[in-house]
Amino acid sequence: MTRTDTLADLLDAAGLAGRGGAAFSTATKVRAAHAHGADLIVNACDGEIGAAKDGWVVEHHLPELVHGATLLAAGRRRGILFAAHRNSRTAGILRAAGLDVLEAPSRYVSSEESALVSLAHGRLARPMTKRVPVATGGRDSRGARIRPTLVLNAETVWRVAQIAERGPDWFRALGTPAEPGPRLVAVSGFVAAPQVLETQAGVPVRALLEAAGGLPPGSPAVLVGGLGGAFLSPDEAGRLHWSRESLGTVGAAVGPGVLVVLDPWTCPAEAVSQMLTYAAGESAGQCGPCMFGLPAVAREWDELVLRPSRAAEERVRRRLELLPDRGACRFPDGVARFTGSALRVFGSHLAVHAAGACGYTSRRSDPRVVVG
Amino acid sequence: MNEALWYASRAAGIASVVLLTAVVVLGTVVAGRRRPHDDTATVAMATHRWLSLATLAFIGAHVATAVGETYVSIDLISVLVPFTSSYATFWVGLGTVAVDLLVAVAVTSLLRHRIAERAWRAVHWATYALWGFAVVHGFALGTATEPLLRWTTVLCGVVGLGAVAWRANVTTHDRERRRILAHQEWS
Repeated sequence: MTRTDTLADLLDAAGLAGRGGAAFSTATKVRAAHAHGADLIVNACDGEIGAAKDGWVVEHHLPELVHGATLLAAGRRRGILFAAHRNSRTAGILRAAGLDVLEAPSRYVSSEESALVSLAHGRLARPMTKRVPVATGGRDSRGARIRPTLVLNAETVWRVAQIAERGPDWFRALGTPAEPGPRLVAVSGFVAAPQVLETQAGVPVRALLEAAGGLPPGSPAVLVGGLGGAFLSPDEAGRLHWSRESLGTVGAAVGPGVLVVLDPWTCPAEAVSQMLTYAAGESAGQCGPCMFGLPAVAREWDELVLRPSRAAEERVRRRLELLPDRGACRFPDGVARFTGSALRVFGSHLAVHAAGACGYTSRRSDPRVVVG
Repeated sequence: MNEALWYASRAAGIASVVLLTAVVVLGTVVAGRRRPHDDTATVAMATHRWLSLATLAFIGAHVATAVGETYVSIDLISVLVPFTSSYATFWVGLGTVAVDLLVAVAVTSLLRHRIAERAWRAVHWATYALWGFAVVHGFALGTATEPLLRWTTVLCGVVGLGAVAWRANVTTHDRERRRILAHQEWS
């Protein structure tokens, strides 16, 4: 069944990819959604550690965001839902504007696509196993039917409105041929001026950091993409570019557009330990690699920090191999990537740390403070 | 001869209740994720299986002798169709239901590697019911005036209920973690 879908064709011409992290073709998703008469959820949760851009879109470009959502809903009369964390500033702005707000609990996995769909169905905000894309419907694990639901990141929806207004050529004039268009990056953590930057793919990571005040001397690393991302050493942050190709050389990705600068005093091994403890507590308790795997990784990482050895490192590595491709969502995959990059970037520090010559003055601090 | 059959039926009956209770208790131990994972697991599982076969033999003997003796009339149909016995219709019927369920449990267990785990498990749950029926049946029809026999049945009931209560309340790492996470804020 081929129907002409003008909006999807336009997005195809622009080459828009989702800004929520997976960078999947928005046109493909929209086409499937329209063919199935899908509902629309605009995801403005900013669920990743350090994420802020979707709240920024809501705060500064709400009329365009709503216009984009209206275009995507294609005249369907059912209400469009705007998802935001409960009691967040973003939820308040959306509500004040008279929009239907889907209030998600402030849990890491609750802002995942299928978790929001589950919540919109009156169930728990926990990820569902996706046998078919949620834009086409399908069934949950108990066999109950799921309404086809298009879930798009708020920045993505804003871009749709911009492309509709200014055309695909304007869009393609920015960024790189592989990753066209303007894009947002939230820079936070230990920088002089944390902010959401309007930028594009291909710019040096250093330029993004400098726009927020620069990488402070002594900062052990920059975290790209939060718990589902990877660390960059200061050297890598100085030479890599904000693109899939460049970041991919060290296992990082553009992801949901998040840069967090680690502070110069907190031991990075301890910072990772705190983030892994947080990750372990965020499991929805549905899938083995998550509910058992993440606490195991956190435990084994602590063990490695306390008593580093080839065997302890090997244990962590072997554990990480067990996490990917087995959960209802990609949370375990992300944490495996994150921990693997921590091993890569902080591996040499672990030996120093164990010898008692850590050098960082602060061992423990609140993870929210550490990571911004 | 008839008297011998009568005594044999009583004896096989009480032995069946004791054995069945032992099998159920072992079953609660080896069931689920909590089961022991070392050599004890092998021993407990093997004992559970072999003892259940012994139980089948004793129950077979109990049923055969009960039909064979003629002090009370229980015909062949009442072996499989519940509540058809002219003697103590209800209490004998409970025994019949227990036998029917036992046949289902035994057959699915023998075919365990050929049928779905889920189906086997669903049928295996019936063991708790059939054990309960068997104990009540034994207590109600235990005609001997010897208190030792009656108290044996009561003791079996207490021990079995204790095992069931333990299984229902004992927690596992898996169950505990799911419970804690499910109680957090998710909506």
